[in-house]
Amino acid sequence: MNRELKYLIIATALVMLLAGGCGSGKSAPANGEAKVMVLAFDGLDPILLNQWMDEGALPNFVKLKKDGDFKKLGTSIPPQSPVAWSNFITGQNPGGHGIFDFIHRDPKTYLPFLSTTKTQAPEKFWKLAGYQIPVDEGSVTLMRQGKAFWQYLADAGVPATIFSIPSNYPPVEGPFRSISGMGTPDLMGGYGSFSYFTDDPTIPKEGEEVTGGQVYQVSVDNGELKAAITGPKNTFKVVPEGEYPPDSTVKFTVHIDPENDAATIDISRQRILLNRGEWSDWVGIEFEMIPYAVSVKGIVRFLLKSAHPHIGLYVSPINIDPRDPALPISTPPEYAQELADVEGGPFYTQGIPEDTKALSHNILTNEEFLQQAHTVLSERLKLYDYELYRFQRGFLFFYFSSSDQLTHMFWRTMDRNHPAYDPEKDAAYQGVLKDTYMRMDKILGKAMDKLGDQDVLMVMSDHGFAPFYKSFHLNSWLLENGYVQLRDPDDRSADFLMNVNWSGTKAYALGINGLYLNLGGRERMGVVPVHRADALLDEISNKLLEVVDPENGKKVIAKVYKTSEVYKGPYKNLAPDLIIGYAREYRGSWQTALGNFPEGALIVPNKDEWSGDHCMAAEVVPGSLLANRPVKLSDPKLYDLPVTILELFGIERPKDMIGHNIFTGK
Amino acid sequence: MFGPKVKLEKELFERVKKFAGRAGYSSVEEFVSHVLEKELAQIDEGESEEEIKKKLAGLGYIS
Repeated sequence: MNRELKYLIIATALVMLLAGGCGSGKSAPANGEAKVMVLAFDGLDPILLNQWMDEGALPNFVKLKKDGDFKKLGTSIPPQSPVAWSNFITGQNPGGHGIFDFIHRDPKTYLPFLSTTKTQAPEKFWKLAGYQIPVDEGSVTLMRQGKAFWQYLADAGVPATIFSIPSNYPPVEGPFRSISGMGTPDLMGGYGSFSYFTDDPTIPKEGEEVTGGQVYQVSVDNGELKAAITGPKNTFKVVPEGEYPPDSTVKFTVHIDPENDAATIDISRQRILLNRGEWSDWVGIEFEMIPYAVSVKGIVRFLLKSAHPHIGLYVSPINIDPRDPALPISTPPEYAQELADVEGGPFYTQGIPEDTKALSHNILTNEEFLQQAHTVLSERLKLYDYELYRFQRGFLFFYFSSSDQLTHMFWRTMDRNHPAYDPEKDAAYQGVLKDTYMRMDKILGKAMDKLGDQDVLMVMSDHGFAPFYKSFHLNSWLLENGYVQLRDPDDRSADFLMNVNWSGTKAYALGINGLYLNLGGRERMGVVPVHRADALLDEISNKLLEVVDPENGKKVIAKVYKTSEVYKGPYKNLAPDLIIGYAREYRGSWQTALGNFPEGALIVPNKDEWSGDHCMAAEVVPGSLLANRPVKLSDPKLYDLPVTILELFGIERPKDMIGHNIFTGK
Repeated sequence: MFGPKVKLEKELFERVKKFAGRAGYSSVEEFVSHVLEKELAQIDEGESEEEIKKKLAGLGYIS
């Protein structure tokens, strides 16, 4: 069957299925049959874009710039994806939508949590034969506040499709089509955790703590390996008070063929044959919670890295199966199934699908990581072709993550000054980023072919990029400057600020750019009186702005933002008190984000494969904006775009949106 | 402070007092409150610190 016929059949079936529930029968958009499309490339950097446009590598971007416009797009403070996308979604800044960082903290416990989503377990159970059946429903709540702009479109009867926008999990409900993006967990409830099974005792390296995944040392007996994939905790099991429920598991057996360096995997009544270096298709697995009664479905992909002399079997994070989602990932719920029909099977549903942690810990090589990232992209491309095909009127938003994730991981390969640059390993990959931008150019070309002169096309990114050469231990700096007291001064390794003596602590850092005062009346053991807060913030800001890298004399911090001054809206009181805007080449350390106080130098080289970043001052890493008509607004920002989109459809700008129309300049 | 009182066995109280001082807490109340808050937070969320760390760790921005 040819592709267009397949699309037609799927699209027609869905229209019939969803008739009446998805905006059909409502009034036409204010500007008739014109279409408005936003094509989003996460992290597309205007400097790199310019450079490769000048080299002639990106003909579609060049044409769009020539026919329309190309400007830098002001990003959020801080320029972290969940914050930036929330600015775009709501037309507000973090004071209005309440997302300030990937990681927030509870002032009553000082414990961190994922900022965009809250999971609430069921509270009442019916106990039976060692199991407990929930009587009420647990819930997953989107923590982003404010109304999404496509909800206003729906109110006005404009058909809208929102593909994989970050900071929208679980997706807001309404008469439109959307599938959630960044923020969608894996089946374990986190950002994604791989498994690696091996009998090679040198993995992981001695002393290396593997994060973002689990390495299982296994033994092979008579050419056979028996192991299990660990799933979510079985909360249906009754356990003694104070104990955590057991993990659910799916067992599998690997039969190793050393002669051919191949293996057969038996799992969940399926048999998969893999040669060395080969990836499996998606494999459906089921975690049984109550035998024959309750199970949770997920999907994984295997990579056989080697069968002989050591087994090396990578298993992807367990993704939610779009054909039967264990958690809500689309609006309407049937949309995920529709996309699986287009794909011809399941696809990556995890919010950030590129497995950067597996590359950082050398579980995946450069090549294997690229293969995985390209699979993500090719899955997305199939869905993109489908959505472009069925886009006849209204609004379409389509998002690609490749430009962001690959720039994080491959910046080092094109930058010989980077501390993580390894001439032996990296030389062959120095073209990866340019190649990625060329792929984005082809994607753009398809949208330009689809849209006519009367239609509006905007291409945008949430932020740009910069090299990440060195980390700054902000918490250690606070300690050394007398703002933090530790209970045991010799214990610098405790996570989550656990060793902090709160009665002697004035300020602490948690998350990637956030600094909080230990404020009386807000923090559980706050000591800073409210009337002293402002002067203390000024004092800390001034000192931070003077921090200099002793190796080269460069300033580490370009700007410190007082959130009471830069945020507007009802949620600004929940924000960190200061946002630290790092200078180009610098970023808050990995340890700072988790509330750690490493000993030694305050500024340390970043040797991780994660080598490009954007969690810096907003002015250092603006995003990109292109459109097929002139942009009159001289300094456009993310929160200007929703105002523009609504006004293109003749919808009055909502009072809480703070932006301007980029095309009229008003 | 002036909130509800909780009775502890004398021996336990002495141990708590000794530890609170050694660990740098300014009072027994502060120490007891901190420990209880931490425990309650875990029960409320149904997650251990290790679980929280695991969930966050998949995020490329932190290690």
